[in-house]
Amino acid sequence: MYGYQIAFNQPSYLLLLFLLPLLWLFSYRSLSGLGPVRRIFALGLRTLVLVLMICCLAEVQWQRASDRLTVFYLLDQSESIPRPTREAMLNYVMEEVRLHRRTSVDGQGGDRPGVIIFGREALIESPPFDDEIRTIGKLDSLIDLRTDATNIGAALKQAQASFPEDTAKRIVIISDGNENLGDAQTIARSLVEQGIGIDVVPIRLDSRSEIAVEAVRIPADIRRGTPSELRVIVNNYKEPTATDSGTVTGRVRLTMKQGQQEQLLAEVPATLPPGKTVLPFQHTIEAPSSYTFRADFVPDVAAEDFMQQNNSATAFTHVRGKGRVLLIEDWEHPGEFNRLVDALGKQNLEVEVMQSNRLYASLAELQGYDCVVLANLPRASGGAADDAASFSDEQVSMLVRNTEQMGCGIVMVGGDRSFGAGGWSNTELEKAMPVDFQIRNDKVKAVGALVMMMHASELAQGNYWQKVIGEEALKVLSPADYCGVIHWDDFTSKDDWLWKGGLTRIGNQQKSMLAAMQRMQPGDMPDFDPAMRKTYTALFNNPAAVKLAIVISDGDPSPPDPKTIRLFSAAKIPITTVAVGTHGPAGSTPLQQIASSTGGKYYVVTNAKALPRIFQIEARKVAKPLVFEPEGGLQPQIVDRSHEILNSIDSLPASRGFVMTTLKENPLVEVAIQSPKPANSPENSTYLATWTYGAGRTAVFTSDAGNKWNDEWMKWDGYEKFFSQMVRWAMRPVNQEGKFLVASEYKDGRVRVVINARDKEDEYLDNLNFNVVGSGPELETIRFPIKQEGPGRYVGDFPADEAGSYLLAISPGRDAEGNDYAPILSGVTVPYSSEYRERESNQALLLTLASLQPKGGEAGQVIEGDLANNSLEEMLKIDTFRPTLPKAISSHDAWPVFLLIAAGLFFGDVLVRRVQMHVAWIGTGLAHLWNRMRGREEVSADTRMDRLRSLKAKVGEELDTRRAATRFDPQADADVPQRSLDEALADAGAEGGAAPPPRPTTQQSGPHGPEENTYTERLLAAKKKAKKDLPKSDDNPT
Amino acid sequence: MERGATAQCEDRFYEFQDAFMLVPRQIQSLVVHSSVLLLLLACGCLSRSPSDQPPELIYGSRGQSDGKFFKPRAVAIDKEDHLYIVDMTARIQVFDRDGKFLRSWQTPDSTNGRPSGLAFDRQGNLRVADTHYFQVLAYTPQGELLEKLTVGGTCGFKPGEFQFVTDFVEDSQGNFYISQYGEFDRIQKFDKNGKFLLDWGAHGKEPGEFLRPQKMDIDEHDCVWIADAANHRVQVFDARGKQAKLIKIWGEEGHDIGQLRYPYDILLEGEFVYLCEFGNHRVQKFTRDGQSVAWWGRNGRKEGELDQPWGMVRDSRGRVHVLDSYNHRVQRFRL
Repeated sequence: MYGYQIAFNQPSYLLLLFLLPLLWLFSYRSLSGLGPVRRIFALGLRTLVLVLMICCLAEVQWQRASDRLTVFYLLDQSESIPRPTREAMLNYVMEEVRLHRRTSVDGQGGDRPGVIIFGREALIESPPFDDEIRTIGKLDSLIDLRTDATNIGAALKQAQASFPEDTAKRIVIISDGNENLGDAQTIARSLVEQGIGIDVVPIRLDSRSEIAVEAVRIPADIRRGTPSELRVIVNNYKEPTATDSGTVTGRVRLTMKQGQQEQLLAEVPATLPPGKTVLPFQHTIEAPSSYTFRADFVPDVAAEDFMQQNNSATAFTHVRGKGRVLLIEDWEHPGEFNRLVDALGKQNLEVEVMQSNRLYASLAELQGYDCVVLANLPRASGGAADDAASFSDEQVSMLVRNTEQMGCGIVMVGGDRSFGAGGWSNTELEKAMPVDFQIRNDKVKAVGALVMMMHASELAQGNYWQKVIGEEALKVLSPADYCGVIHWDDFTSKDDWLWKGGLTRIGNQQKSMLAAMQRMQPGDMPDFDPAMRKTYTALFNNPAAVKLAIVISDGDPSPPDPKTIRLFSAAKIPITTVAVGTHGPAGSTPLQQIASSTGGKYYVVTNAKALPRIFQIEARKVAKPLVFEPEGGLQPQIVDRSHEILNSIDSLPASRGFVMTTLKENPLVEVAIQSPKPANSPENSTYLATWTYGAGRTAVFTSDAGNKWNDEWMKWDGYEKFFSQMVRWAMRPVNQEGKFLVASEYKDGRVRVVINARDKEDEYLDNLNFNVVGSGPELETIRFPIKQEGPGRYVGDFPADEAGSYLLAISPGRDAEGNDYAPILSGVTVPYSSEYRERESNQALLLTLASLQPKGGEAGQVIEGDLANNSLEEMLKIDTFRPTLPKAISSHDAWPVFLLIAAGLFFGDVLVRRVQMHVAWIGTGLAHLWNRMRGREEVSADTRMDRLRSLKAKVGEELDTRRAATRFDPQADADVPQRSLDEALADAGAEGGAAPPPRPTTQQSGPHGPEENTYTERLLAAKKKAKKDLPKSDDNPT
Repeated sequence: MERGATAQCEDRFYEFQDAFMLVPRQIQSLVVHSSVLLLLLACGCLSRSPSDQPPELIYGSRGQSDGKFFKPRAVAIDKEDHLYIVDMTARIQVFDRDGKFLRSWQTPDSTNGRPSGLAFDRQGNLRVADTHYFQVLAYTPQGELLEKLTVGGTCGFKPGEFQFVTDFVEDSQGNFYISQYGEFDRIQKFDKNGKFLLDWGAHGKEPGEFLRPQKMDIDEHDCVWIADAANHRVQVFDARGKQAKLIKIWGEEGHDIGQLRYPYDILLEGEFVYLCEFGNHRVQKFTRDGQSVAWWGRNGRKEGELDQPWGMVRDSRGRVHVLDSYNHRVQRFRL
C-alpha cells in the first residue's frame, strides 16, 4: 500500500500468535460479567494488544520499495590503456548521466551516479549524489592513484561499500579487462547475489608495436676481478607483415649502480627483429659491494614502441668483501662525524657517508653494507618546507627489515638530535633498538607541550592532510608530553578543543587522541584571536618545560590582536605558522608576522605531502627535554666488562651529557655502560646498550661521538678501538667456510632460486637445512621452503606478482662442527608490472562479468563503442539507468509505534472492563437533533430542567440510602427468612447477575429508625445460620 | 418580554452542565483533562516565537549542477526580485524569488579563493567582491563581465589597493565604498569615477576599528552601516565629509537574543536592521538603536534551522531569503 509493506526482522516470534485461542478461552470466561457487547469489545481489544505486542517482539518494520538507481562507473585508469582512451571515459560518463539519469523517481528524488577510478587500487572520484557528474575536465583523484596495475576486484569492492541502502544498484565497468591483481570474478559473483547489476564497456586495444626489455641476466658465480657476461633480453612483439618485416631499431644502454653512484657501462645500437633478441655485455667487478645493473632500450622512432614503462629491466648482485659501513648524518650538519669516520677507517672498516637529504630509496641499496650507523640523526630536518628532509615510514621500515631479516647491524650514536629528541619515538626503529625513546618515569621532568591550531584551508583534501599532520605530530610526542588540538567546530560555531580537557597529558590516551584526529572536521575559522587566546591560556598554565603552538592555515581568518601575540612573546611560547594555499601576501604576511613576533618558524607549503614532515620537525622541539646535560658533567660507568665492545677497555673518559631513553624490559638487552645521573632513574640512564633483533644486532650509544658532550673522548686513546669494536660487534657476519652459488630467476610470475653448495674442499654439501627470509617490493615478508634436488643442489620458488626488487637472506644452517654458516644474500628484480606486458584486452573476463545475472534482475549489457575516437552515439543507446534490477527495500523500525498503539489499546481494554458507559444520552441527543431538524415542537427547556432536577434528586436519595445502609451502626439483627448456605453463597456470587431474593419487608422509619438490611449483613446472617446447621450435617454424613 | 441573549447563553451553559453531570465520572475526567491539554497546546501554539515559524520555501541542495549549491556565500537581489547567489564553486547562479533557477556563470579565476560578497550598483550591475584577488568585479545581470568597471586587483595598503575584499555599496551620490580585512581592516570610499576619496578603520577592537568588516549597507542619509563581524557589533559612519565619523555603535558578543556572534550580513529595511549571524545560526531583527525585536532560525539541518548562514536579502514582498550555507540551501521566511 502506497509503496510500503510490513516485514518482520524476527519472524519466529510470530509463533506466539498461537496463544490467541488460549487468550480467548480464558478471557471469555473471566469477562462473562461484562455483558455480551462489552465482553466482545474487551476481548477484541485484548486480542489486538497481544497481536501488537507479538509484532513488537518480531521487530515489525515498514519497508519501502524504491526504483531509484545508484550507478557506479568504474573507470580503468591503468597504463595498459592508451591515455586518450582513459581521458575519454569521463566524457562518456558525463554524457550518459546527462542523457539517461532520471531526476525524479516515484517522488523520492532522482538516480544517483558515482565515479570510481582504479588502477592498482580504487579511489572514489565522485560519491553518488542525486546530481549530474560535473568535472573541471580532469580526474581529481588521479594524482593519488597508482596506475601500474589493474585491480578490477578492488574497484568492485569499493563500489559495493559505497552504495547507499535505499536504491537499486548497478556497476558499469569501463576497462580493457587486463586484470593482474585481485579476483574480479569472485567478487562480481558475490555482488550479483546481492542484486547488484554489472554492465561493461570493453576497451579494445589495437594491435600495436611494442618493445619490452624482459631481463638482465647476471651469472650466479660472479666474482671480484673475473670478467663476467651480462645478457640483456629484449622482446619485439611486432607482427611481421607482407610489407613490413617488423624489425625495430634503437639503442640499448647498460648502467651499473653501486650505492648512489651510477656508471654507464655500454650504449650500443640494436636492431631487433620480431621475437626475442639477446644482447651480451662483458664486465669485470673490481670491488666488493652490492650492484644493480639496469638495461634501457630507446627506439629510434618513438611511434614504434607503444609503452615506455617496459623499456627497462634491472638485476641485482652482491659481491662480498671486508665489512662495509654506511654512516648517515644530518644534512644540516655535514662533516660532524669526520673524526668517527677516520677512526673506523683506521680500523680497516670501509665507511660510506650518506646525508639525510639523499637517503636510500630501496632495500636493495642497503645490501652493500654490513652495518648502518645513524649519527646524531633526526628523523626530519630542514628549515623551509621545500628543503625539509625526513625518513619516510617506508625508509624506516627498510632499515629495520635490513637488520631483522638480512642481518645487517644498526648502531645509533647520540647527540641532541637523536633518539626521542630526534623524533624517532613510536617508529619501527624504536622497536628494533634495545631502548625505548620515550620516558615514562614521572620523576623525570622531561615534558613538552604542543598545541596545534587547525584551520580548514581551501586546499584540496585539506582536511585529510590536517589529520595526517596531527597524527604525525602526536606520534613524535611521548606519553609524558601534553598535546592539544584547537579548531573551529562547525557544530558549536566556536573555537573548541578537539578532546575533552584541551591541552592534556598524552599518557595512555594516544590511541583515543588519534581516533579523535580521524574524526576531526576543522571548520572555517572567522578570526584567529579567540583560538589563540585559548591556546595561550592553556600553554601558559601548563607545567611543561618546552611549549610550542603550531598554526596551519591558508591565512584568511582575521589576524589576531597584537596584544595576544605579545602575550605569547612575553611567555616565550613560540608559534610556528604553516601557510598552506595562502591567498597571496594578504594571507601569508600575517602568518609570517605571527611566527617572527613569537620566535617560531614560518613555513610555506606548496606540496601538501611536505606537511607531515614539517610537523615532525616542529614536534621534535617539544621532545627536547629528553636531552640530559647535568651540571658538572658525568662519569660513565662500565656495567658489563665482559661485553665484546668493551674488550680491553678498562676505563672511560668523562662526559657532559646524553639523551635519556627507557631500557627495554627484555632479557636479551645488555647494558654495557650506564650514567650515574640522574640517580633516581637508572632505567633512563643508559649510555651503551645492545641486543639481537631478528637476524641482526643493534646497539645504542646515547651520548655523542665527541662534538658536543664528549670532547674528552676525542683525546682518548681508546676512541678508535671503542667505536670500531661497537660497529664490528653489530656487523653482519661474513661466511668463510662454504661456497654457495645462488641463481635466482623470474619467470611467469614466480621467482626460482637454485643454490649449489660446496665446502672449502669443493665437496658437495648435502642435507643442509636452508631457511629463507626475504622482503618484497612492498617490504612484505617472504618465506618459502628450499628442498634438495641433487648432490649439493637445492631449489625453491615463490610467487612474485609485483614489480620491484625481491631480496633474500638465505641461511644454510650449520656445518659439520655445529657452527652457523653466515647468511647468503641474493635477490631478483621484476622489471615492471605485468600491466606493461598486456597488448590485448581481456574480452573473455569482461563478457563473463556482464553475463552474471543479478538476483531478481536481468543480466548486464555489453556497451560497445569506440571511446578512443570519442564516438559516443552508439554507446549512449544503452541506458545504464534502466530499471531492470530488483527494487531497493529500505526498512524502518515500526515496533515503537506498534508498542505505543498497544499501550493505548491496553488502556482501552481496562476502560471497557472497569467503566460502564451509558449511551442513552447519545440517543436522546440524536432525537433532540432530529426533532430540531424536523422542526417539531420540543419539550420546553424549563420542563426538561424540572425533569432533570427531579431525576437528580431521586438519584441523590438513592445514594443517601445506600450510604446509610453501609454504615455499621450497632443494631439488633432483623429477622431474615431461613435460607441454606448454598442459597446464601449463590447470592454472594451473583454480582449484578441474577436478581437478589426478595427482601424481607422492614418497617420504614424516620432518620433514626431501623434501617434496611444490607447485602453484607444478610450474608453474615446466612453464614451464622449455616454454622448452626453444620453439627447436624456432621452427625449425618450421608 | 423576550429574554436577553446573555440569559439564553447562561441557560444553555447550565443545560450543558447538567447533561454533562449525567455522563460517567471517568468520562467527565477524561473530557476535562483533554480540554486542559488542548488549551495548553493552543496556548503553546499561540506563544510560538518567530523562530518556530516554518520557512515559506526552501530551495537548493548540495551539488554542482544548476540550482544546487556548495556552501553559498553571498547573495544580492535586483529590482525584479532575482536573486544572485555565489557559492564555493565560484559560480554565480540567478534565481527568481520562488527559487526557480534562471541562469549562471563563473568568475574568471577561483584558484586562490572564491568571492564572498555581492551587491548591485545604481546602474543595475552586479558587483562581485572577488576576495582573494583583491578586487571588485562588475557584471551585467546577464553575466557579461564589465572589465572597465573592475576596481582594485593589487594587494596592498595604499589607496586603491586592497587586501581581502568583502563588500561593495554605493550611496545616493554615486560614490562607492569597498570594505576589506586582513592586516588592515578598512573601508575605502571612491567617487563615481573611481577616484579615491578617503578611507577609515584599522585592525582592532576599539570603536572605529574593525575585525573583518564583512558586509555594508547605506541608509537614506548616506551613512554606512557595517557588520563588524569578528567584533560582533554594528558600526555606523557618516562619511559624507572629508573624514568618516562614527555616529553609532552597538552590539555585544553572546548567544542570547539581542546579542551577536559573527554578523556576516546586514540589511536596512525601514526602521529595522536585519543581521545574519554566522556564529548564532540565525537572522535577528533590530531597531536602528540595537534593540532586538525578532529573530528566526536556530542551529540544525531541519526546516527552519540554519547552519552557519553567510548572507541574506529581502524581496519586494518583504520576505527574507537567507543563505543556509553549510546546509547548501536557501530558506525564505517572513520576519
